[in-house]
Amino acid sequence: MKRCVILGQPNAGKTLFALQFALYLGVLETRMAFAEARGERCEREVRVARAIADMTSDEPHHTRQLQSLLLELPAGKGRRAFELVDTSGLVDGIHPDPSIRLAMAQTLSTAREAHVILHMIDAAAVGRTRGGPAVGEVDAQVAEFGRTRGGYLILANKMDLPEARHGLARLRQDLRGHPIVPISALHRQGFGEVKAFVWRHL
Amino acid sequence: MAPRTADEVLAWLSAGRITPAEALVHLQRLDGASASGAAPDESHDERRRQLDAAMAELDGLIGLAPVKELVRELVAYVEIQRRRAAEQLSTEPMALHMIFKGNPGTGKTTVARLLGRMFHAMGVLPRGHLVECERADLVGEYIGHTAQRTREQIRKALGGVLFIDEAYALARGGEKDFGKEAIDTLVKAMEDYKDQLIVILAGYPAEMDYFLLANPGLRSRFPIHMHFPDYTPEELFRIAERMCQERQYRLAPAAALRLRRLLEERGKAVPDGGNARFVRNVIERAVRRQAVRLVRRRRLTRDDLVTLEAADVAEVAYG
Repeated sequence: MKRCVILGQPNAGKTLFALQFALYLGVLETRMAFAEARGERCEREVRVARAIADMTSDEPHHTRQLQSLLLELPAGKGRRAFELVDTSGLVDGIHPDPSIRLAMAQTLSTAREAHVILHMIDAAAVGRTRGGPAVGEVDAQVAEFGRTRGGYLILANKMDLPEARHGLARLRQDLRGHPIVPISALHRQGFGEVKAFVWRHL
Repeated sequence: MAPRTADEVLAWLSAGRITPAEALVHLQRLDGASASGAAPDESHDERRRQLDAAMAELDGLIGLAPVKELVRELVAYVEIQRRRAAEQLSTEPMALHMIFKGNPGTGKTTVARLLGRMFHAMGVLPRGHLVECERADLVGEYIGHTAQRTREQIRKALGGVLFIDEAYALARGGEKDFGKEAIDTLVKAMEDYKDQLIVILAGYPAEMDYFLLANPGLRSRFPIHMHFPDYTPEELFRIAERMCQERQYRLAPAAALRLRRLLEERGKAVPDGGNARFVRNVIERAVRRQAVRLVRRRRLTRDDLVTLEAADVAEVAYG
């Protein structure tokens, strides 16, 4: 099965995007697989709308394990199934909590094998900073990592917030050469372009 | 100091030695060579390492010179076919099904398991595991049962090696025997799952030759024949020494002499009994006899616990 993995800093909106994207593709219920850092894997049926309420929050590090959604895209006369993998956020510096470090290692291990990488950046947070580089160390390295891969797309999230417009401009300047799509995971804006990109690269 | 494999990078990250950003830098460096657009399942280095490890293990086996040579040929052949495919040159379809001929205890299963790992490392088999079965696992009790049971074993072996021990037994019962049905099902599966399955038929040399004569269709489907020669007494002795080492025992000089003599006598008495299983039984028996000898003693040195004396080996005259 082809894999599409979402990377990004904690609280960039990865989980919300994954679930909203599922809804956007018309999936109301799906199987979700959870892989814990220790290697156990469990699956359960979830209602996507319900999961949005349960699994997302304003606090960073809400997702501490890999969560994957089984989704489908139309392809030719049939449909092509793929796995959308939501991951635990990557931080700058060394995180004090070993369980989060383990989850990050798991994230990178998945990213190595992914066919498409969606790199989520909080554009509003970027817009709030003044001067210096637009993105931190880890985002810059994810972008470098993505350059060597086939399907790599940067999603500038939280475009519904006013600061995000400035943030997007800074991202476009600092990450020149990378494809950037502005989206709002909350309002499902910009998803058409993401869908087209994923469709092309799977 | 930099991590050498991707696994090491991830281990360092979770141990808190490096930041995620640094981990990404290392991964790019390590994957850089192999990742050209498409994402590989395992990095090239990792596969190379697995192949080298399996080859080293094969070389470490005592004796088996002709087998080692044939395996080396096979590995080279598969590698070159793959390189040719990469250069868009025409390649032969690889039929890697094999017949192993040899007496019991001459290393057939061990080599089959190593081959599975090698083919996995070279990307021929997706999983490379070994499923061992024999007539009783394949042949059913009523009409239709056999195909079902055989398919069950094949399903378990998909992605790896299906090793059928004493395969000649499948042709034992004559025309009406269900063994024939098992063979037919097997042949069909070999066609259906060409890229997913390697079948190895193993058994005594004479019986296997007869088996292939009786089923001429099989001969062409199993192009690779490996002959496992009986071990010489000298090789058996070295195997015994290796077994002792693995168990952290040591043969006292007198015990070693006794064992050599035992192996030579047996070599003469039972022509096809020169096998490693016999050696294992002797060693295991000696270990138990040593335990009985020592258990009543008040004071034991480390040396006592390790040493097998002549008396321990002596009375094991049969396998």
